[in-house]
Amino acid sequence: MNTEVFSIDFWKAFAPETILIVGLILIFIIPNLGNSKFRIPLTKIQVPWFLGGRRFKATGSPAIPGMLATATLFTAVGMMIIETINGNMDTTTVTSGGIVILQVDNFSRFFEILFLVAVLLASMASLDRIPANTFEGKKSLEEMYDNRRQADFYILMLTTAIGMCVVALAQDMFVLFVGLELASLATYVLVGFHKESKSGAESGVKYFIVGSVASGIGLYGLSLLYLEFGSLQLSTLAANWGDASALGPIALGLVLVGFGFKISAAPFHFAAPDAYSGANSPVAGVLATASKAMGMIGLIRVLLVVALPEADSDGSAIWLYTLATLSVITMTWGNIAALGSTNPKRMLAYSSVAHAGYMMAALTAVGAWKWGNVEAPGDYAEAIVAAVLFHLFVLVAFKLGAFLVLGLLEMEGGASRLSALSGLARRDPLIGTAMFIFMLALAGVPPLAGFMSKFLVIAGIVSTSVGDLWMNGTVSFSELHWVWWLALAMFINSAISVFYYLRIGVIMFLDVPEEGRRKPLPYGASIRMAIWICLVATIILGLSGDTLIDMCYRAAESLNLA
Amino acid sequence: MDIKNKEFMLIGGLLVVVAGLMAFFPSLSDSDTAVDWISIPLVGFPIIVSCILLAFASQESRARKKIIAVPIRLFTLCASLIPLAISTALFFDWLILVDWDLMYNEFALEKEYVWIESIGVSWHVGMDGLSFPMVWLTSFLVPVTIITTWNEKDGATYHPLLLMMGGALIGVFVSLDLFLFYVFWELTLIPMFFLILKWGGKDRRYAAQKFFIYTFCASVIMLLGLITLYFLQPEGSGSQYGSVTGRTFDMTVLFSNATAYNMGDNVFLGEDMQNILFAMLMLGFLVKLPAVPFHTWLPDAHVQAPTGGSMLLAGVMLKMGAYGMLRLPIAIFPDAVVFYQDIIMAIGLISLVWGAVVCLGQTNLKRMVAYSSVSHMGVILLGIASMQPIGYAAALFMMFAHGIISPMLFAVCGAFKHHYHSMEIGSMRGMAKWSPYLAVYMMFAWMASLGLPLLAGFVAELMVLIAYWPEYGWWILLPGFVLAITAAYYLWSMQRTIFEGGDEGQPPESLNGETPPDITLSENIGMIILAIFTVIFGIFPFIALGMMDQWTVAFFEGVFNSGGI
Repeated sequence: MNTEVFSIDFWKAFAPETILIVGLILIFIIPNLGNSKFRIPLTKIQVPWFLGGRRFKATGSPAIPGMLATATLFTAVGMMIIETINGNMDTTTVTSGGIVILQVDNFSRFFEILFLVAVLLASMASLDRIPANTFEGKKSLEEMYDNRRQADFYILMLTTAIGMCVVALAQDMFVLFVGLELASLATYVLVGFHKESKSGAESGVKYFIVGSVASGIGLYGLSLLYLEFGSLQLSTLAANWGDASALGPIALGLVLVGFGFKISAAPFHFAAPDAYSGANSPVAGVLATASKAMGMIGLIRVLLVVALPEADSDGSAIWLYTLATLSVITMTWGNIAALGSTNPKRMLAYSSVAHAGYMMAALTAVGAWKWGNVEAPGDYAEAIVAAVLFHLFVLVAFKLGAFLVLGLLEMEGGASRLSALSGLARRDPLIGTAMFIFMLALAGVPPLAGFMSKFLVIAGIVSTSVGDLWMNGTVSFSELHWVWWLALAMFINSAISVFYYLRIGVIMFLDVPEEGRRKPLPYGASIRMAIWICLVATIILGLSGDTLIDMCYRAAESLNLA
Repeated sequence: MDIKNKEFMLIGGLLVVVAGLMAFFPSLSDSDTAVDWISIPLVGFPIIVSCILLAFASQESRARKKIIAVPIRLFTLCASLIPLAISTALFFDWLILVDWDLMYNEFALEKEYVWIESIGVSWHVGMDGLSFPMVWLTSFLVPVTIITTWNEKDGATYHPLLLMMGGALIGVFVSLDLFLFYVFWELTLIPMFFLILKWGGKDRRYAAQKFFIYTFCASVIMLLGLITLYFLQPEGSGSQYGSVTGRTFDMTVLFSNATAYNMGDNVFLGEDMQNILFAMLMLGFLVKLPAVPFHTWLPDAHVQAPTGGSMLLAGVMLKMGAYGMLRLPIAIFPDAVVFYQDIIMAIGLISLVWGAVVCLGQTNLKRMVAYSSVSHMGVILLGIASMQPIGYAAALFMMFAHGIISPMLFAVCGAFKHHYHSMEIGSMRGMAKWSPYLAVYMMFAWMASLGLPLLAGFVAELMVLIAYWPEYGWWILLPGFVLAITAAYYLWSMQRTIFEGGDEGQPPESLNGETPPDITLSENIGMIILAIFTVIFGIFPFIALGMMDQWTVAFFEGVFNSGGI
């Protein structure tokens, strides 16, 4: 279905996104409602104007923005899930003057759900992590800080969500870039949100500088692409990719730098550990899950939709060796750096670098599918993309969950040393067990969601390397495609990673709590609820992921690879 | 009894009712053939019950935990008796008539439910002559372990962990789906990790992590082999095949593909492919077994683990490795077995010799026993390398006999540690004077382990040697000599601890001059049960061996396409 911008069908298709924008506007307006009046010039008639003046008590409460944001996100997620879960949805394309701008299909809806769920959980957690103090009487400076920035924080959260949704929907590289920047700029501010602490400001600035350099390089790549093809439409680029001159691959490489920063792939990952450790934990969780998924959309669009060779030609994609090398470097570097880090947030950041490497390895395998006599390469590609999508989705469950547990620890002081976790299982057995389960899921221990996703990714890689050799009869090992070794690299890396994930478990269950942390954990109803949601999802999606796998497949199919 | 304790008893009582219903729920269904005696009663029930108990106990305060430990361990013991009762009843055909006389790739009490449709994973369970002895052994050892370590501290969480361990171990043995197998394979690590971490000795942090990482590393390599194998199989259609991948993780399908290949009907893997996949799978199992040079996690894990953990670790967990070998790589790649035969033999022989020689130099009692396990596991590899039906049957019986004897060895070590606060062999002289019971059990267990005739260990060792002769001839002198070394280190350590020391004996310094006590009643009960079964299976080995023989013959017909010698 094709619609023009702002037609009736447009609003129907974009109802969830519209809710987000309405919610955003409401967060701007509602805290500012007051008794101000507007005097009509030259008369004495005063018309109530309501914006500004003395704020109303009910709407001026600092707790309002957080609740509004959570409610908005919840509604939007609910609408999208209801729309998507029941099966194949209609593809709606939005055009303006013959140019396809946005497209609502299974793929974009899947990612929108992912983004909104991640931001929803983070904003639920932030209700406790950055509490709004509504009590009367004297307040400390810090509490006043927290109150004043409630609206700012949730506006930025919603902006991030909207920007990410635009990335998921975009059918034009330019629109995709606009969405990416919208989300990125909001996250730069969110990372540096604790500007009174040194590390917060430092990490914000670092993240901003490195991020904007990466964006600049990506943008330069886009302009070269435009120079080569005269259009940034994904369909146009894909159709003409085969005829590209040398400029095409160069542009591709530059664009990859931009997205590589977002998914924190080596060697563009240096800002990630600093950013994660300086940001407060829910925000770091969003960076590690949703922001990474946003970068993955970019990679999938550019590498798989645009730069894959024609289905009838024989050969592998031009980026095959580059991406293979980068993926192995990324996963190894991430894991080895995580081994030595004593800050749990940095450790999780490096582990997220490693996970980026796993997903890049999977994408590499898609680039290799055109070998042998594979009849229907699309199936292999779809299986792998579905596995990557599954991995991205379940990361929200356990990686964000782990960050939220750290957020709970931050509420009683910092969580920047491993010793902050010591004795957690003794102080609060359920939270400790939850954290341990998140760690096991990250390591890929069955039957948790992390195992399922890693399993699917590796199965995808192996299926590509085997292809349809089984039809030929005797298969010898040398006949397998070399991407099989990527699967081995992944497994060796997950074996390395067990070491540092397990260390967290040992610290939580064995060590004695450090001084000043003997009391029970702070309560925080909504952050705990967010942790429970993550925990249940980690277990349920591991035991029975069929519904989600189906969703991922439908999403991958709607990319129309091959 | 205060109010809260009454509440607890109420909850406990309710749990008993629920558990009973869960365990016997299958028997309420209509026909005998439809009864699923495995999924819930043997596997699901122990795991679920222990999870509930752990969640319940973790919410209590430290003081309350001490109070509720008594009812919890009573309840855990009762719960662990249910799988034992069921598996015993299945053996004697009391519940339903089970035909244990199975052809290769036939399974008794087989059940299959689709689990993850898209990639062809199903909850497929069943038992045959290979898995049933192991299942019975596990269900037997869990209550015995609970009884033996009745007074372990923090019983509110310790005993449920043992129960969970039992459920996961049975899950490994009954699963007939590669995915399910791997899930249980890894699941067994988690309770054992906690047992070592929370109840272990001084270096428990190191030992627990080493144990987990070692096994995990090996099993991911194994998993890669399994996934590659999965995609190399032909596509098919049916409920067990994945809707997306078109392949299946079902072991029975895999076995029939492999059999078809062996019969020459269908060629599905090249020779080098078979050898590589065989090596990848074997790596996972050799580490678990453990065989030299992958054995170094075992002494650390054993020395640091609590008594109950060691008993289950040595009794059943090591056998997972041998079981896995026989179940997967050897059954699927018989040609590769021939290719690797000498290497397997060499690894087995090195494990046997290495373990025994290292034992001679040990001063720590538990470490010595741990190395003797390495040595005995080498015997299993020799049985496999012999490529004779009798060798395979011997390997099976070795798994079973060692599964009864080694828990007793570790129970003795645990009692020694518990009462003397020391594990050093040299710290104690004249134990027989102070602790006659412990001395008797120690003597009995040591004798059983060194292979005294009429005790279970002897049968297996003799059979292995018989199978070894036709294949490797005079090399037989080497294992024969090692068995003599085994006798030497056992007798020597026994002589030093139990006897000597003159009339007064020489109690260890760690007791600070107190009179050494004898073992407690619960330890006594646990050990005497193990001792009785050691004698029973030593005098009447055919109780278990009959089933193993049948399985071996069927296995050789199905896999090696021959009846053996």
